Amino acid sequence: MNAKVNIIRVSLAAGAGLLFAVALGVRAQPNGLQHANNFTSTEYYGPTNQQQIKSILSGAEALPQPGGLLIIKQLKLEMFNPDGRLEWVVNAPECVYDTFKGVANSPGHLEVRTGDGKFRTEGDGFLWRQSEQLLTISNNACSVIENGATMNIKP
Amino acid sequence: MKRYSLVIIAVLGGLVGRAQTNTPGALPAPHAPTLINSESADFDLNGHQGIYHRHVRVDDPQMKLTCEQLVAEMPQAGGRPNHIVAETNVVIDFTDTKGQTNHATGDKAVYVYSEQDGVTNKTVTLTGNPQMENAQGTQAGDVIILDLANNRLHFDNPHMIFRQSLNGVTGDTNSPSVKTNLPPGTIQNIDRIITQ
Repeated sequence: MNAKVNIIRVSLAAGAGLLFAVALGVRAQPNGLQHANNFTSTEYYGPTNQQQIKSILSGAEALPQPGGLLIIKQLKLEMFNPDGRLEWVVNAPECVYDTFKGVANSPGHLEVRTGDGKFRTEGDGFLWRQSEQLLTISNNACSVIENGATMNIKP
Repeated sequence: MKRYSLVIIAVLGGLVGRAQTNTPGALPAPHAPTLINSESADFDLNGHQGIYHRHVRVDDPQMKLTCEQLVAEMPQAGGRPNHIVAETNVVIDFTDTKGQTNHATGDKAVYVYSEQDGVTNKTVTLTGNPQMENAQGTQAGDVIILDLANNRLHFDNPHMIFRQSLNGVTGDTNSPSVKTNLPPGTIQNIDRIITQ
C-alpha cells in the first residue's frame, strides 16, 4: 500500500543520519516507503543539545522504488552547526537515495554552498555517502571562493 | 666562441632571503572570486576539505594556476581558505605590479593564509624544481616563495639560467639552458643585461 502523504514533518531521533534522513522516516512507515510531496524533515542534535536543529531536508517529491530506493526531486538540505549557524546548503534537482546503504547519487546537477555563500561548488553527477559525509562530484566540478588568494607581486 | 647572455630578472630585488613575511595591519584587498575547475572532485563536508582531480584550473583575477590535483581546506562559515596544496605539473601565471607577466612552474605549490595578532601571512611556496620565467629570463631556486601579504618573491638558493645565444644574437634562444649557482649577493638587485 502506498499512501500518499502531502506534507511530512518528521523529527528524527538523535544519531539518525543527516542527509536524506527523511528517507529513514518514510521507510519506518508500515508497508515500506511512501510517496510524499513537499516534504520537510528536521533532525535535531543529540541528548546534550536536543533543541538545536542539525539539518533540515526538504523536497518537492519523494518516489519510492523497489529495493529500498527513493527518488527525491528538488532536494534541498540545510546543515547547521551546534551553535545554530547554517553551515552547508545542498541543492539537487533529482537524486536516488538508497535507504539501506545510506548513499545518494545522481547523474544530474548538484550545487553546494556554505551558509554564508562564500564557498560554492557545483557539478554534474554525484555520489553522497551519508555516514562519512563525503561527496564526490564526477564531472565538471566548479567551485567559487569569495575573497580568495590575492596575487599582486611587487618586482 | 660561444657567447652567453646572462639575463638578470628584474624581480631579483629583495628576493634573496626569507625575511619580511608579516605586515601588521595589512588589509585584504577586495577582488573578484577565485574559481576552481576540475574534471572531478571529492569533498569532506565534515572536515571542510575539497580534493580536485585531473586538469585542475584555478582562475583568480591576478593568477592562473593549473595542476593535476589540488587539496583545499574549505572555509568555515565566515572564514576563508587557509591552506591549499596543488600537486603535479603545477603552473602559475601571474602579473606583477609592473604589469609584467610571470610564468612559474614546479611539482608542488602550497598556499597558506593566516592572521595572528593583526598580522596577515599569505604565501605560496613552490617546490620541486621550481622556476620562474618572465620577459627578462628565468630564475630558479630550491624553493620559490610568493609572499602575497608583502608583495615579494623569495628564492632559496637562487640560481640563474644562462641562455646560449646563436649567431651573435643575445637573449632568448631555443638552446639548452645551463644552470649556475651564483652567490646570492652577486645577483641581488641587478636589473640589467650583461653580455659576455
